[in-house]
Amino acid sequence: MRILLGLLIFFGSWLILSMMLSQSLILPTPMETFSALVEILRDSTTYSAMLSTIAKGFMILGLIIAVGLPVGFVMGLSDKIYELLRPTVMIIQSVPVISWLALVIFMWGIGWKGPVLIGFLSLLPISIFTIVEGVRSIDRDLLEMVKVYRVPKIKVFKYVYIGSLIPFIKAVVDVSVGNVWKTVLVTEFLCGDRGLGVMISWARQYVDVPRIYAITLMAVGLGIGTERIAKKLMSLTTRRWGM
Amino acid sequence: MILKVEGLVKSFGNFEVIHHWNLTVEEGEKVVLLGPSGCGKTTFLRIIAGLEKPTEGKIEIGFERLGFVFQEPRLIPWKTVRDNLRLIEEDEGKIKTILELVKLNGFEDHFPSQISGGMKQRLNLARAMVVDPDFMILDEPFTSLDIKVKMEIMEDLMEIWEKRRFTMLMVTHDVKEAVYMGDRILILSKIPSKILREIRINFIRRDITNRDFLGMESRILRFMLE
Repeated sequence: MRILLGLLIFFGSWLILSMMLSQSLILPTPMETFSALVEILRDSTTYSAMLSTIAKGFMILGLIIAVGLPVGFVMGLSDKIYELLRPTVMIIQSVPVISWLALVIFMWGIGWKGPVLIGFLSLLPISIFTIVEGVRSIDRDLLEMVKVYRVPKIKVFKYVYIGSLIPFIKAVVDVSVGNVWKTVLVTEFLCGDRGLGVMISWARQYVDVPRIYAITLMAVGLGIGTERIAKKLMSLTTRRWGM
Repeated sequence: MILKVEGLVKSFGNFEVIHHWNLTVEEGEKVVLLGPSGCGKTTFLRIIAGLEKPTEGKIEIGFERLGFVFQEPRLIPWKTVRDNLRLIEEDEGKIKTILELVKLNGFEDHFPSQISGGMKQRLNLARAMVVDPDFMILDEPFTSLDIKVKMEIMEDLMEIWEKRRFTMLMVTHDVKEAVYMGDRILILSKIPSKILREIRINFIRRDITNRDFLGMESRILRFMLE
């Protein structure tokens, strides 16, 4: 009920503001936007664009989990490895998207690889540093206890490390899911060949502002939907650890 | 002889904590190290358990399976009572027996946050028992418990000891605990700590209001306060 009321307030404010501005080129009314949305949804190419964006998003999330988590884990365990890899991760974090963009366009031209690589590199450092912090905050008393009882390393990893890292893995997934669609849309806009970002780029060329807003609404829906799914999946996984 | 310590010194930088300790523990003995807080008792246990290295001295270890009852229970919060033991021992039958022994049967599927402080300490004890220890270290295991729970656990521990007869090395700063638990009490000084005196306990001491018990308690207290 409160969500509905919140949505009502949002769309009501949007309507009032657009009527006050009365310029569709800056802020179209919700009705104009929804009519553009209906038109977009009638077009079958929209779905392939959406699928392309979703595929890129999941590819980035998969890469973050496959690379960010193990690298963060190893960096958290060993100060030497941390000091060796930290400069690289910090450089990746500081490089502006526009520089990556120039690089991928020279390498691959426009296509799906550019958005995936840029999205991955944008989200990788934060996932690595989050996991490093997680490993460093593992209860030293528990690690001493397993040392006293000579618990095999594989069991220590399963019982102590994974369990301790769950909140940090959750944080990585939350942050990545929250940001991945924004990153994918920007990079598709700049160097993609298909996807919602490319659709926004075309709408911009035709100065079709309601269409831009409509595609943005779709992206917002995608973001909220995946966040919900990710939260559900995480809570199912963490239940195994009694969290 | 299950443990022999000769000329043990432990310093942290220039700060000497343990000063030339010599002691021997025989198989099946219950030895209590009694001393003021911060005198290096826990450090000594950590050296025996291999968590710290001595600065000087020689330690001969004759035990194979070590049980360690930590001062704070050190349980895995996201694992159930049963799984906290499964970390150490996979044998379900053994886990069941130990849980019955420490009176935690019926709480197998509870998480540490769902059990009381006394039960957590019982689980800490169960974890030490499940390795079937021939040497058990107890690091002030009753400090955080109220007197009633403390007495219950101490009584149960003594019953378990009667059945299993493992060697016990306990540290405490509580005279009552020391007299109740030990066959032999080693009284320690402040840091740099030395072993000041050795006292043998020869009476049956299940009753803490017993005249012998109270006499021994006050004798040790007087010595410690001198």
